[in-house]
Amino acid sequence: MAYCNRGEMDDDGLIAAVAAGDDRALRELLSRHGPWLAARLRRVLPAAEVEDVLQETFLAVWRGAAGYRPAGSAGGWLWGIARRQAALWLRRRGPAELALPAVPADGRAPADPAEAALQHAELADAVNALGPAGGAQREVWQLMYVEDRPVAEVAELMGVPEGTVKSRAYRARRLMRAALRREPVRDGGGR
Amino acid sequence: MNIETAGLIRRFGRTEAVAGVDLQAGPGVFGLLGPNGAGKTTLLRMMATVIPPSSGTLRLLGRDPGAFGPRREIRRRLGYLPQSLGYYPSFTVLEFIEYFALLKELPPARVPGAVAAAVEQVGLGDKARAKLRTLSGGMLRRVGIAQAIVNEPELLLLDEPTAGLDPEQRVSFRAMLRDLGQRASVVVSTHLVEDVGAACTEVALMHQGKIVFRGTPDELTARGVAGGAGDAPLERGYTAVLAEARS
Amino acid sequence: MSGPELTGDRGGLAAGGPLPPDVDLGRVWLGVATQVWRRRPGRVERLAGRLLRSPGLARALVTTPSLLLGWVIATVVLLAAGAVATRASGTPWVALCAPALAAAGIAYAYGPGIDPAWELSCSMAVSDRMVLLVRALALFGLNALLGVAASAVSGAAAALTFGWLIPMTAMCGLALATATVARSANAGVAAGLAGWVIAVLAGKAVDGHVLTAITDSALVLPYLAIAACGTAIAVYMTRIPRGTA
Repeated sequence: MAYCNRGEMDDDGLIAAVAAGDDRALRELLSRHGPWLAARLRRVLPAAEVEDVLQETFLAVWRGAAGYRPAGSAGGWLWGIARRQAALWLRRRGPAELALPAVPADGRAPADPAEAALQHAELADAVNALGPAGGAQREVWQLMYVEDRPVAEVAELMGVPEGTVKSRAYRARRLMRAALRREPVRDGGGR
Repeated sequence: MNIETAGLIRRFGRTEAVAGVDLQAGPGVFGLLGPNGAGKTTLLRMMATVIPPSSGTLRLLGRDPGAFGPRREIRRRLGYLPQSLGYYPSFTVLEFIEYFALLKELPPARVPGAVAAAVEQVGLGDKARAKLRTLSGGMLRRVGIAQAIVNEPELLLLDEPTAGLDPEQRVSFRAMLRDLGQRASVVVSTHLVEDVGAACTEVALMHQGKIVFRGTPDELTARGVAGGAGDAPLERGYTAVLAEARS
Repeated sequence: MSGPELTGDRGGLAAGGPLPPDVDLGRVWLGVATQVWRRRPGRVERLAGRLLRSPGLARALVTTPSLLLGWVIATVVLLAAGAVATRASGTPWVALCAPALAAAGIAYAYGPGIDPAWELSCSMAVSDRMVLLVRALALFGLNALLGVAASAVSGAAAALTFGWLIPMTAMCGLALATATVARSANAGVAAGLAGWVIAVLAGKAVDGHVLTAITDSALVLPYLAIAACGTAIAVYMTRIPRGTA
């Protein structure tokens, strides 16, 4: 294989290389995406299992790289595979093994504790993408979407015009969506 | 005790390459120093069960290498890197290491994991599937080290292992030796006195087939304090002992 | 000596955060690499491993230089050409060529002449002598089989079809002994070829027939003696590899 700096290749290029049988590209993918995948998995799995699930994930990447369509996001695709592996493990072990309680806010027992735990982990990650607690986006998220207050009330509580609240909410939604899909945020800076 | 010899002698024709060596060694890293022709390689070859001794006793890993069964058991737990290791040009790094792992009768189920670990440990992960004929001298030496450690040997014999390695690789290599020396007996024959000082718990100096010094690197340094040629303390000790032996 | 650390962006604020401290990506990679890098033996090798009860011996067998596909195909082609030539001209070329081909194959089987990692091979649990034995037998068997097939196809008489097996054994022994003593496969090939050419020409000089070297039954014992001596020399040479200090 001709020399190329895999460190500079983008994710789509790396996955295409993996599909062509390049084991070094696979290693580069693990180096790039392993950390955040591990962090997300660590919310629901013990450390030793995180390593096993990551291993299964990247073996699945090795086998299935040809099926990746570059239109989507590499991160989302990788998380999809990791998620499936994690769900398999969680269903085998049962709810007692879950690192976090999986009871949703309305008190009903979840139909699938594994699924609930994974969603919880994804959500926690996405909320983190809004920035530090106390920051503008987090506050808007908390007030408008978690506490379900009207725009006027939020504007009063935060001491900013309604237009500012709306644009912060818009930015928060974009950040969440990008985080959930593991895409880079495409717009410029927000306020 | 992993190595026990008493009065070990090896002759070629009329010359005694090894002229009576008494040695006992347990786990740890042992440096074998000496000028060319001192008998280091011959001693290592006897410990690797490649050639039998002419006389004297040799016990390796508590077994007698003269008998077929015990010799096979020793060889399963042995790692050997000869001074000049030829390679099969059309083999890849993985194939070469795997070949010798199989010949050491490592259980087939454990072979892939052991090979991968050995490749990563010598830092050749990027070249795992490269053919050996495309590698530089230093990389080939690292392949040689990898095949020696692939079976997690209890007795590791390395003849001039750092030839062709750059200083950074030598540092990593010494760290690896120290780690291996916790569980196994590692014997390193080398010309490079600094390698010895940094990694070895004990040093032996050979001259004309005999061991003329045995002790820690600090003790060797102490021998050179009174005066010996060399730029570094260990080198001075080395030349001082040799000068004594020659007189 | 370890490769680049697989810790990624430890301080990163990428969504999901940095690598948890109790997760070792190096271990993960090792598990992945074990599967990605593993070699799966072919059917022939697996069968040989079961028959010989040693996967190492099987691997040594299938990597014999003169048993590699290229060499085998060349042998088949040469013998086929011999068969065709025999049918065309009546001179039994197969019987004349087979011993030389086998000798060449044996010289390229094993030993210090052909194995660049010979010193290392002598320290292996699967002993070098076992490898030599297995390879030589496999090679001999294969050549005998191909030769007999070619002979039968070429329509030669039964005596000729099998008669060259014994001179073939002798030439193989000669080639093997020379290759191990001289530590050179080419020397072994040369000795095998030269020995056979001499035998054939001598037979022709004595009798006028080019096939005397094969058909003369008085030669059977000398041939077998050569084969035995050659083998003994090879065995002896592989017991005590000559060394220098």
